[in-house]
Amino acid sequence: MKINTADVLREYGPYPGADSVHGVTFDGHDVWFASGDRINAFDPDTGEPVRSLDTAAYAGTAFDGKHIFQIAEGVINKLDPATGSVLATIPAPGAGGDSGLAWAEGTLWVGQYQARKIHQIDPETGVILRTIESNRFVTGVTWVDGELWHATSEAETSEVRHVDSQTGKVLETLQMPAGIGVSGLESDGGDRFFCGWGGTGKVLAIRRPKAGTAS
Amino acid sequence: MDALIAAAAWALATGDVLGALKRVALRDDPPALALRGIAMAQLGDLTRAKALLKSAARGFGPREAVARARCIVAEAEIALVSRDLGWPEKDLATARTTLEARGDRVNATHALHLEVRRLLLLGHLDEAERRLALPTPTPTPLPPALRTARELALAGIAMRRPQAGIARIALARARIAAQETGITALVAEVESASTLLNSPAARLIAGNEERLLLLDDVERIHASAALVVDANRNLVRRGEVLIPLATRPVLFALMRTMAEAWPADVTRDLLLARAFGARHVDESHRARLRVEIGRLRAMLRPLAGISATERGFALKPRNTHEIVVLAPPVEERHAAILALLADGEAWSSSSLAIALGTSARTVQRALDDLATAGKAQSFGQGRARRWIVPSVPGFPTILLLPGPLPGS
Repeated sequence: MKINTADVLREYGPYPGADSVHGVTFDGHDVWFASGDRINAFDPDTGEPVRSLDTAAYAGTAFDGKHIFQIAEGVINKLDPATGSVLATIPAPGAGGDSGLAWAEGTLWVGQYQARKIHQIDPETGVILRTIESNRFVTGVTWVDGELWHATSEAETSEVRHVDSQTGKVLETLQMPAGIGVSGLESDGGDRFFCGWGGTGKVLAIRRPKAGTAS
Repeated sequence: MDALIAAAAWALATGDVLGALKRVALRDDPPALALRGIAMAQLGDLTRAKALLKSAARGFGPREAVARARCIVAEAEIALVSRDLGWPEKDLATARTTLEARGDRVNATHALHLEVRRLLLLGHLDEAERRLALPTPTPTPLPPALRTARELALAGIAMRRPQAGIARIALARARIAAQETGITALVAEVESASTLLNSPAARLIAGNEERLLLLDDVERIHASAALVVDANRNLVRRGEVLIPLATRPVLFALMRTMAEAWPADVTRDLLLARAFGARHVDESHRARLRVEIGRLRAMLRPLAGISATERGFALKPRNTHEIVVLAPPVEERHAAILALLADGEAWSSSSLAIALGTSARTVQRALDDLATAGKAQSFGQGRARRWIVPSVPGFPTILLLPGPLPGS
């Protein structure tokens, strides 16, 4: 397993009225993050806030190319990003203990914080298809180029980890600098991860290691 | 952090205490216990709140040091508000150091303010002031709730000093900061402190004159050239020169009796009655009086002499032509206990003993007296027994619990 220190590229925010970051996603142009009573979008090139949607947003956020999925409390809402209206609702697998959320190849991946688990679920019904175990509290979850990554925050250290999506085995670890607790995670599809920084209301961009360097 | 904890914390931060409780009522993991504890404290169930926070702190353990420290700070605040002065202050200091070291500056400052408020309650003004003067670990500007607490503490120190002008400025700043927080209880706390500042702080006895004084008058008298016999704190002073007699009640009684009679002298019989409670005077009393006057004379030397007269003794002040006595506004037995109970909180007899620096037995006797006279009442049994003043309306004491969120 490779262990590296995360390379922080840029810091975004905090943005007015959004004191904490619970979930992060990327729609191909803007970064969205959940901050309690709304989801906020900003342009990662300029850092400027773009717009926001008023909706319950207490944990992970994901984007399937068309809709935003947002964990409210015990449920996951499917939202129209244009209006913020709720199109569908499914139960969250952790019944409120859920943290991160990611979209990949037709299914949703949901982190369960205290239980240290990641569930793969059916986005239509919420049925659990598979569960993998972590040995740390799971916060953010994301997929990029067939790699499953998740963030952890426990014992006052925080890491972004590349794990085997079948076994949960840790393949590669990026250690966050002291004092930074990652609360949400999303890849931009390229060489960056966007990380929510818990109670600060900030989002960090960190460098994603080149694919295939894990061994 | 997960969705329900985030939602509960959000509800708590927006004042929806029941909404917060509803979300975590059935969960027993440490973050949920901490949130439930803080919610219960805000609902006024301090006993339950304490138990929840204690088990949350235990659950977090040493690996989650910040979350654990926040629970301990919240526990300390509840202890302070419920006047449990026996709560281990060392734990609070350790929690503050942890929070400072891990960069949680807001809660570290909150912990510091709790330490200062405890010192104030115990009357350790210099130490309280020293702590407040330390560079704050908080980034400027201080959040308004913390700013209010800080200004209230500064006002508290100044009012006890007494420095009315400084107290008034601090209270004005506290009022502005409290209004910024929008917390009604905090605004009320500032108002009740202001009311206190504008109520009689002492009674002046000089010659045949006797009148009530505001804190400003007391400050003026302290700054004047007069020799002041301060029966609020049992000391003698002129300007900056202080002669504390708090641990020498007999000497203070003699001093006060002579000061009230000045410029006339005082008979031996009156001195004996006031200082020793002696009703029938014999030769051994006279010998004891001579000894005590000798001790007092030695201590008073920088400020006054004592000369023997036909009938007894008289004060001869140096470098001043005025002697005044400052007494509490209402003088009665056990005034010190009543003054503490007047804050409207429920006190244990052991906390009263700690605050007054006397024995628990003495306090217990005094409380029994006060209860018989209908001036204090108690509820609860054994160690849980608490004392309050029946007539004084309770004013709120700020409970600004620290941020509960683990891993945020």
